[in-house]
Amino acid sequence: MSASFASHGRAAVDRLRDIETVTHAGLAHLGVEELLVELLDRVRNVLNADTAAVLLLDGPNEQLVATAARGIEEEVYQGSRVPLGRGFAGRIAATRRPATIEDIADADVVNPVLRENGVRSLLGVPLLAGGELLGVLHVGTIALRHFDDDDTDLLQLVADRIALAVTVAQSDAERKASTLLQRSLLPQRVPRVPGLDVAVRYIAGGGGTVGGDWYDLFTLPSGRLCIAVGDVVGRGVKAAAVMGRLRSAVRAHALGHQGDPAVVIDLVDRQLRHFDPGEMATAVVAVVEPSFGRIHLSSAGHPAPLLVAGDGPAQYVDLTPDPPLGVKGRARRRTVTCELPPGAVVCFYTDGLVERRGQRLDDRLGLLRKTVTAAPAEEVCSTVMGRMIGLEPPTDDVALLTVRRADSRTEPLEVTVPAVPASLSEIRAAVRRWLVDIGAAPQDVTDVLLAVGESTSNVVEHAYGPAGGVVRVRVELDFPYVVVTVRDTGQWRAPRGSNRGRGTLIMESAGEVAVGRGAQGTEVVIRRRLAVAGSGT
Amino acid sequence: MSDARVEAETEDGRVRIVVRGEVDLQNAGDFEAQLTEAISNRATMVSIDLADVAYLDSAGLRVLFHLVDRLATLQIAVELVTPLRSPSRRVIELSGLAALVPLDPPA
Repeated sequence: MSASFASHGRAAVDRLRDIETVTHAGLAHLGVEELLVELLDRVRNVLNADTAAVLLLDGPNEQLVATAARGIEEEVYQGSRVPLGRGFAGRIAATRRPATIEDIADADVVNPVLRENGVRSLLGVPLLAGGELLGVLHVGTIALRHFDDDDTDLLQLVADRIALAVTVAQSDAERKASTLLQRSLLPQRVPRVPGLDVAVRYIAGGGGTVGGDWYDLFTLPSGRLCIAVGDVVGRGVKAAAVMGRLRSAVRAHALGHQGDPAVVIDLVDRQLRHFDPGEMATAVVAVVEPSFGRIHLSSAGHPAPLLVAGDGPAQYVDLTPDPPLGVKGRARRRTVTCELPPGAVVCFYTDGLVERRGQRLDDRLGLLRKTVTAAPAEEVCSTVMGRMIGLEPPTDDVALLTVRRADSRTEPLEVTVPAVPASLSEIRAAVRRWLVDIGAAPQDVTDVLLAVGESTSNVVEHAYGPAGGVVRVRVELDFPYVVVTVRDTGQWRAPRGSNRGRGTLIMESAGEVAVGRGAQGTEVVIRRRLAVAGSGT
Repeated sequence: MSDARVEAETEDGRVRIVVRGEVDLQNAGDFEAQLTEAISNRATMVSIDLADVAYLDSAGLRVLFHLVDRLATLQIAVELVTPLRSPSRRVIELSGLAALVPLDPPA
């Protein structure tokens, strides 16, 4: 045992025990930086040093970043960075071997912070976990000191403890970050689209580390509806980040190329290959026409959705997958189109739902097909999760999105939207779809749309103060009548402006109009007798 | 979003305007701006084709009433092309605009 170790040997062993205890328990709640600061104080004591610092590897940039320091804290405040292979710490990282500097005065490249603090001698060791370099730990003294092999061994021992603690803290932080990131990237809530019934399920599998599964559903200005479900290869923060970019890419390209999902997929693919080379993902993109009568789908290596139309059993959409996103070379992208009659259900999912160790994929796909029925979307999701996942936690992420087209013949239409001008066309689109679905004659459609337009415009213009509010529209069949109810929770006021008052006339031409004004708001009920007997039910 | 597209061509002072899409409270202001921009004070006759208008309500009627009034002051003749049974024809007949401006086909 050398003199330097022996001189404080007993104390050092006790303090090393301190480090062990501390790294094993008490600090689990600390973040990586806080944990390191706590440990560096112990390191200074154990080695009787004046300064101690940890630089962690920033892998993608091949640099060491000063992450925690005691005695030379400014190194961290200034965000000191050292390229691998250069300087004292950089050489330790590159060689993965300990190094010493007897006297800084003789050294070539050293961080000026050390010199300014009067540090003379340095000892540094690599931080290694499972053979992988995490960073560098070094200690320094103001007095000249010869660090010997025992000092080096002791510091390496401490470094290994720190590396372990850092790995645990980092993976914990990464897990939390990726979960948070993924949650923030998935839709906060599924948008309510009048005439559509939507439900989703999302489960992060794989022992808590999230994967890159995602789903999205949004409307386009043309009245089309876009649905995307996908799966990024890989796990953790990186996969979650790629997932976020893909989701935005689908939105942006769908906005620009509203009609054709194959075009959207092609553009997303090109974007991924250019900006995230090496990343890969599968996805299905679907576009529903404004009438909701047809759905267009394209798949990039993603399993085909299930479709239940009419009274028949569920069928996988006849959708031969084109290559996944991110695969080299420009792939052929195809779109298939399916009829989506009232009451039809489409069920999108990721492979985590159907892949299960020890079971044949075909059996699982067969089970899923039998499980999906033309039921309300929430019910479909619950039944599918119950049958497919059951009590066994999934090993992979599972995303499930079910869309059911409402059936106007049996279900009233309910629309609740902000009372703003931009809502008017959305309301009309929903009412038009509903009327066409019940088989209303063109004159009925025109007149009812006008009545709905006038009464909802009134709400937008007159019902609320600057704080705004909502307008509720309900359309139901009371054969041979269509009954439209438009409600607000504002205060009635007389219409203003020139050339007004025509709205009432137009409403009355559509049918029998009853207006109820109360403290809770205004309710307008329009009853229209359908022109053609035998239409509707 | 409500969207109305206005296309205009002028020949010998005759302005032919074709409107497509929907006009409601949201885009009535924009619709009015597009219409007035298409008509200069040199115009002698304006024809507004509403055959491809899928929806037009009182917000759009206000624009048309205002325009018809303004063109009368400027002594510019105007007619509305609005086929029988088309969505625009229905509101225009209801509104009484037909009394102020000739329709094609006539009422």
